Amino acid sequence: MSEERRIEPEQILVARVGHGANCSSIGSVVDTLFVAAAVGTAVFAALAAALATEDVRVVGERAGDSAQEAADADARRARQGDP
Amino acid sequence: MIVRYEPWGAWVKLESTAAVVAIDRDGARALGLDGSRGAWGEGAGPSAPIEVHLAVTERCGAGCEGCYIDARPDGREKSSDAILRELDALRDAGVFTVAFGGGEPTTRDDLDVLAAAARERGITPVLTTSGLGLSEARAARLRGFAQVNVSYDGPGATYASVRGFDGADAAERAIERLAFAGMRVGVNVVLTRASFDRLGHTLARARSLGACEAQLLRYKPAGRAASLDYLARRLSPEQARALGPTLRSLAESHCADGAFHVRIDCALVPFLSADDAITRDPARLARFGIFGCEAGGALTAVRTDGRVAPCSFAAPAELRGEDLATGHADDGMLGRWRAYVAAPPEPCASCAIRSACKGGCKVVAAFVDGVHGPDPECPRVLAHRSGAA
Repeated sequence: MSEERRIEPEQILVARVGHGANCSSIGSVVDTLFVAAAVGTAVFAALAAALATEDVRVVGERAGDSAQEAADADARRARQGDP
Repeated sequence: MIVRYEPWGAWVKLESTAAVVAIDRDGARALGLDGSRGAWGEGAGPSAPIEVHLAVTERCGAGCEGCYIDARPDGREKSSDAILRELDALRDAGVFTVAFGGGEPTTRDDLDVLAAAARERGITPVLTTSGLGLSEARAARLRGFAQVNVSYDGPGATYASVRGFDGADAAERAIERLAFAGMRVGVNVVLTRASFDRLGHTLARARSLGACEAQLLRYKPAGRAASLDYLARRLSPEQARALGPTLRSLAESHCADGAFHVRIDCALVPFLSADDAITRDPARLARFGIFGCEAGGALTAVRTDGRVAPCSFAAPAELRGEDLATGHADDGMLGRWRAYVAAPPEPCASCAIRSACKGGCKVVAAFVDGVHGPDPECPRVLAHRSGAA
């Protein structure tokens, strides 16, 4: 975990809240759409705070092996607080 | 948190709170991920799904009239080994969430093992069940799942009007037992012409039983529902146009304290095109993660025969689930579904919410119009066809 990490809420492009446990079609929480602007802002601020504090683990193969190794190295540096 | 690079930044699955977020490249760099040596993956082809719906059995004794998989008591069941190989592929692809379903998945004895196997691979497992016959002991064995949704279309006659039998009491007992076992419980509510107008009552009842979420599902013409009866059961055009105001009212009535949430499924998003307040600020839909058809893209299904499909309602591709990580980008059928979303015809092309809706439900279009085209029940499409838009 790095104390220097800081994510701005504006850097969050999409927030999909909750797990969603339907097995046949993908779902999205919709009540957040109708809440007051201040509540929506608070949701994104809370997510930004969580992003700044959790340890990072990189997954996926889209970038190929060498890039994945680089991504893993990035993650290790992030965990060590040395981005 | 679990991070997956994308050309525009990264998908991130948070672990301290139940959320998946997309962050831009600056946000990813702020996490210490600089994307060196091509990690952003430009030119690497389409991204793998973030959510996969995994059918683990076609067995089910409920006999719901509209079952999209045509599940039966003697239906096919997938082997544990095959499921584990598919979970390996999901891990390799960087999938975040796997939703176990069927059929009735609780007919299997190894669900707790499979949930643990998903978690060992860094994938969040969730489950859908009818809840019929779910004992307290059985409910407790489902604790490995992050959330369990029970099919519950409403109390008493409302449930029966959707499924064709009186199973509401059994579903209600299951909701209570799962909540008592300390689990996050949601309900799946299928919207038909008969159930739509009773939504407020259904959600209040579900919440009183311990559910924390209701996912509203559009009735779709697949499996046993792919019949002429579909035309009488689907939402009326007036109900489709009323979805936006109805959701607004439900949010005010049931969600104000933040302890209960309402979801809509991908196929309901096109109905929001009739809501002026939503179409005036379409970017808000995407920012809150409210998307329509993501079949073949962010979503993929794996059937009990092992074949991959764009979604659970769609015909399968050649690709097999255990080859998902290496074959998702190049599969022809999945590619055609993604290509349609990228460049849909009118009236979708000029629709204000196109980027979120992604062209409506292609399964409905294929059944009603016989083509992979605009959603024929979307209010905007109906207006376009009548010459009003």
